Amino acid sequence: MDSIDKIAYQADENVVISARGLGFRRGERWIFRGLDLTVRKGEFIALVGPSGAGKTTLLSCLCGLLQPQEGEVWVRPNAVANPQQPRACRRHFGIIFQSLNLISNADLLTNVQCGRLGRYGFLRTLLGFPGNESCEAYQLLADLGVGADPYKWVSEMSGGEQQRVAIARALFQSPALYFADEPVSNLDTYYAGRVLGLLRQQASQLGRSVCCVLHDPSLISRWADRTIALHPDDPSAWRMRDVRPQAKELQGAGL
Amino acid sequence: MSDSNPQEKSRPLSSDPMPRPHLPSLPKRPWYERLNALNMTLLIFLLAVVFSGFFVSGSGRSVNVIENLSRFAQDFFPPDWSVLDRTAAALLETVVIAILATFFAIVVSLVLAVGAAQNLAPSWVVISIRMGLNMIRTVPSLIWAVIAVVAVGANAVAGVIALTFYSIGYLGKFFSESFESMNMDVARSLRGIGADPLQAFQYGIWPHARPMIWSHSIWMLEYNIRSASIIGYVGAGGLGLQLHAYQEYGQYDRFATVLICILVVVTSLDFLSEWIRRRIKRRTDRNLSH
Repeated sequence: MDSIDKIAYQADENVVISARGLGFRRGERWIFRGLDLTVRKGEFIALVGPSGAGKTTLLSCLCGLLQPQEGEVWVRPNAVANPQQPRACRRHFGIIFQSLNLISNADLLTNVQCGRLGRYGFLRTLLGFPGNESCEAYQLLADLGVGADPYKWVSEMSGGEQQRVAIARALFQSPALYFADEPVSNLDTYYAGRVLGLLRQQASQLGRSVCCVLHDPSLISRWADRTIALHPDDPSAWRMRDVRPQAKELQGAGL
Repeated sequence: MSDSNPQEKSRPLSSDPMPRPHLPSLPKRPWYERLNALNMTLLIFLLAVVFSGFFVSGSGRSVNVIENLSRFAQDFFPPDWSVLDRTAAALLETVVIAILATFFAIVVSLVLAVGAAQNLAPSWVVISIRMGLNMIRTVPSLIWAVIAVVAVGANAVAGVIALTFYSIGYLGKFFSESFESMNMDVARSLRGIGADPLQAFQYGIWPHARPMIWSHSIWMLEYNIRSASIIGYVGAGGLGLQLHAYQEYGQYDRFATVLICILVVVTSLDFLSEWIRRRIKRRTDRNLSH
């Protein structure tokens, strides 16, 4: 680890989260190794690569759900609270899971409001959530087209609707960092654009950051600033690419 | 539109099979891989059934089973309905004992079950709580009733205490097994976005465990009504005192009245619990109909 490098990225006010020399191993097989990634405020980073390349694993390492065997993840104290207190840190991480992980035996509104569990103590949420916020949660549901009946159970919704509920939960949480694992995999073109547009807006207008696993190249070039591509066979063959300038040129050319 | 491009036509159509130089053959599975825990359990149980058959034998005398039973059954009919009002009062006491005992047992068991679930508590807590629950279960309800009668005297309070302890042994085990069968992903993901352990339990595990918890609790209530009619034999309130007296004096027609009353209560409770379970299940399974 180069200490000068460390000082450099920690001095940069805009760096929210930074991974240095990250390596994760399942059994004997390294998923990725020596991976460096720096996420700044307002950035939208797309994680790409074929199935089994380790995109979800990388995302889990970044948001602290998995412990990497090598390297470290540094989280800016001012941007994302104090990393010495894991709970205070984690509530600034909004995660949209690939398997959604919604509470299927609870209504949509409760699920969305669970996004803010980290802000309150146990006693505050023991008998329900603060009532003045439920309207905000409902508006997010309506915004994503699942507001028809906010008291329906999640188990009564279709897959695409459940995915939008999971996205609403993350948006309601309003975290400093979004980790989204294929957030639009079950959505039609309209809602895919709408969801990514909302995430892009969170980044560009509110200075939050987005790390998002995406497959569709047209969506990547439209919404992402940078991509990090993982290789399924070679753990150290990851590479970073800027995609935003190219997209701007295309827009300038009238495409 | 596609006609305008001559190159499009020369491509192989999808009906042309692609040349496949090598097709993998399905790998054979060795027979011993089928010996998983479930199949082994079945095998061992069947062996146990066969061996148990050798150890059980009757008295060896020739007995007229039909005559014995019919002589006994004749004493029960017709039931003597004159004791119905006395039975109803005792039945009410029985139900009250069962309801209170089940309530106290649910409250205590929920706390104990969290500690006895391997996915929620450290292993030393799990082992010690399970040992305690096993010890509670070892003691039959009638013995609990004797202990309670010794402690607080021959009344309904003794019945409540006895059945509470007895039920904790079962509900603690059932509840902890319900918690262990839960998918931990939701709770873990809530922890991942900042929820504390209690919040993760309340919102990540409890909604999924709740149908099973209620189902077990209703079963326990039904079981307690049956138990509560026995513990009166040793003086812990309820129908048991009557049953004991009628049995002692050979008044089996009155005994039959009491049994029929218990049957009515237990059967209606069974219908009620079945209805509730179906309602719960219908709501949780509705996503399958999509």
